Amino acid sequence: MERAEALGRERVLARIRSALKAPAPHHQCASPSGPVFVPLANAVERFQRECAANSTELILVPDTRGAADALGMVLASVTPGEIYLQDAPPLRRMLGGLKTDRAVRWSNDGPPSESSQAAITAVECLVAATGSIFIASSAAGRGASVVAPVHIVVASEAQLEPDLAAALRRVKDRELTTHNSALFLITGSSRTADIEKILVLGAHGPRRVVVILARNLD
Amino acid sequence: MTTAAQEFLRAAAHESTDLTRRKAIRHAIDQYDAAVQRGRKQFVDYEAARQKCYEIKWEALNHLDKYLLEFEEKVKARGGQVFWAETAEDARRYIADLAMRRGVRTVVKSKSMVTEEIHLTPALEKLGLRVFETDLGEFIVQLRNEPPFHIVTPAMHLTRGDIAKLFREKLPNAMSSGASSEDPPELVAVARRALRRAFFSAEMGITGANFLVADAGMIAITTNEGNDRLGTALPRLHVAVVGIEKVIPRLEDLAILWPVLATAGTGQTITCYDSLIGGPRRDGEVDGPEEFHVVLLDNGRTDLLADAEQRDVLHCIRCGSCLNACPVFRAVGGHTYGTTYSGPIGSVLTPHLRGLNEFQHLSYASSLCGACTSVCPVKIDLHHHLLHNRRNAVREGDRPWHERAAFKLWRWTMNSAGRFALAGAAGRAALRGLYRLGLEATAVDPLRPWTKYRTAPPIPRKSFRAMWRENGTR
Repeated sequence: MERAEALGRERVLARIRSALKAPAPHHQCASPSGPVFVPLANAVERFQRECAANSTELILVPDTRGAADALGMVLASVTPGEIYLQDAPPLRRMLGGLKTDRAVRWSNDGPPSESSQAAITAVECLVAATGSIFIASSAAGRGASVVAPVHIVVASEAQLEPDLAAALRRVKDRELTTHNSALFLITGSSRTADIEKILVLGAHGPRRVVVILARNLD
Repeated sequence: MTTAAQEFLRAAAHESTDLTRRKAIRHAIDQYDAAVQRGRKQFVDYEAARQKCYEIKWEALNHLDKYLLEFEEKVKARGGQVFWAETAEDARRYIADLAMRRGVRTVVKSKSMVTEEIHLTPALEKLGLRVFETDLGEFIVQLRNEPPFHIVTPAMHLTRGDIAKLFREKLPNAMSSGASSEDPPELVAVARRALRRAFFSAEMGITGANFLVADAGMIAITTNEGNDRLGTALPRLHVAVVGIEKVIPRLEDLAILWPVLATAGTGQTITCYDSLIGGPRRDGEVDGPEEFHVVLLDNGRTDLLADAEQRDVLHCIRCGSCLNACPVFRAVGGHTYGTTYSGPIGSVLTPHLRGLNEFQHLSYASSLCGACTSVCPVKIDLHHHLLHNRRNAVREGDRPWHERAAFKLWRWTMNSAGRFALAGAAGRAALRGLYRLGLEATAVDPLRPWTKYRTAPPIPRKSFRAMWRENGTR
């Protein structure tokens, strides 16, 4: 079996190498030197605009305290039931001051349960130009951002990257691809337009994505 | 036995007269066109974006061995497994064996055209596995037991009424709450409830991938619904089936490919879920599968790679924009093609994957207007490749003798002004005679393919050249 697999691999590679002996035509084009994307002036403003366009709920707060208050407010609007939390120190601190009678499951107890009503996670970074959040599997896990109908993230402005190119550079600089089995870019809530091209939010993933963005977090 | 070409003509005649269906297609594509106009506003220079994407894919395809090996090495370093499948049969067998060995009973699938190409689902069902398509459009066509109508919008041809009726029949339990509703949000909720159970009980998640990122050693998957996210988070096995042509050199290439794919595919600035996955769950991670397998599929792709003239066909990122732009696709729809990949890209690609002789008729399913080439985000020269396939079919002697004889005669006639004038005069006289006898649109009318559906214009007495001589001296 293993030997047959190795032979198949060798044959495919040999076919590729022999195919590439004939050079393919390459079409030059004069244009690509200037910027490709519309440049952005102010990252926070752009992020705000993009979130509004992709139906991410964005709450701007000054500091950790403001973030905790905002979190309390958002949670008050969530259907009763268990909430799931990424076990990160800032989130621990925030939830410490929060009065809630809900069942709380921390990520160090395992993956989110099927019935969780909201998941709260940190982010690796935010992307202003697309209104996206970027999360890493080693921190926020894989299921947390998609199992519950509400996903709430807490981030600081220091984590706001201007565009995708910068976000991907950050991933490289921090060697995130080596230290994570998966990385996720999320832009808005889960959606489909498969029925008559009519946009419906909350297909398989969250109906609501909430970003609490603090100027500073401690 | 009917050939693929005869079946195409029959289906095309049938589909193009189904006005309800054509209305549904027109509606979907109009919505798409409007969205693309909005999505393109994120680019200062969309042409430059297309050229960049072309450069990325050109670089990857022309050093394919190098980038695939780099990808493989990095996936293995993370504990993932890579299988090189020479044929569809190899890929099916590998996945079926794995499912059997690991005691899999339920599989959740994300939308993937390559798994359609290798007919994976029927192979797994034959082993007694339950296989759920989890993309809403794919789920709908699976319940209808039909292939996807469009590579991005599988249920483009159906109305909400069709879907409500289907759900009432096939999902009576999930449908109970709003039995008479045709409301799209309610229909989406029905599918969500039905598939939620599948996600949480499945042992294996199967996905495709939009890109294989060589320097990161990760696959990139794009969806709007997040079904791929659930399918790669919850089951204990993840298998990704991917054509070898999907590789790209660098992680930063996604900074342009993701937005361009989104805009060309659906008109969005970026798709909701863009995920990078490079291995099974790591130590210390809270969840994720125990095993991660990537099946790299050849299945005829290396033959196309060897055709340097058409190598750029492998640039395709399956955005579906050439289908939406194509006047033939709009009229005959996706099922008429009878192939996994439909529209212009399918017409170019299928003869390479399944034989030029049997599928050369698709090279003529085109008006050669070039709309496909003008919208392709990776600049595949689609309409010229249709001509290349026509030429190759002639070269390989796959055309009937009478066609070859007719072209010889035509060339001989066209090479002399006198012969051309004589042939024109004879043709006009013959047609006038035929039509005077009332034989228009009958079997003896050489213009029958046209006159079958339309009245012939009056046949002029004089040739254009004669009229030119009379009037042109002024």
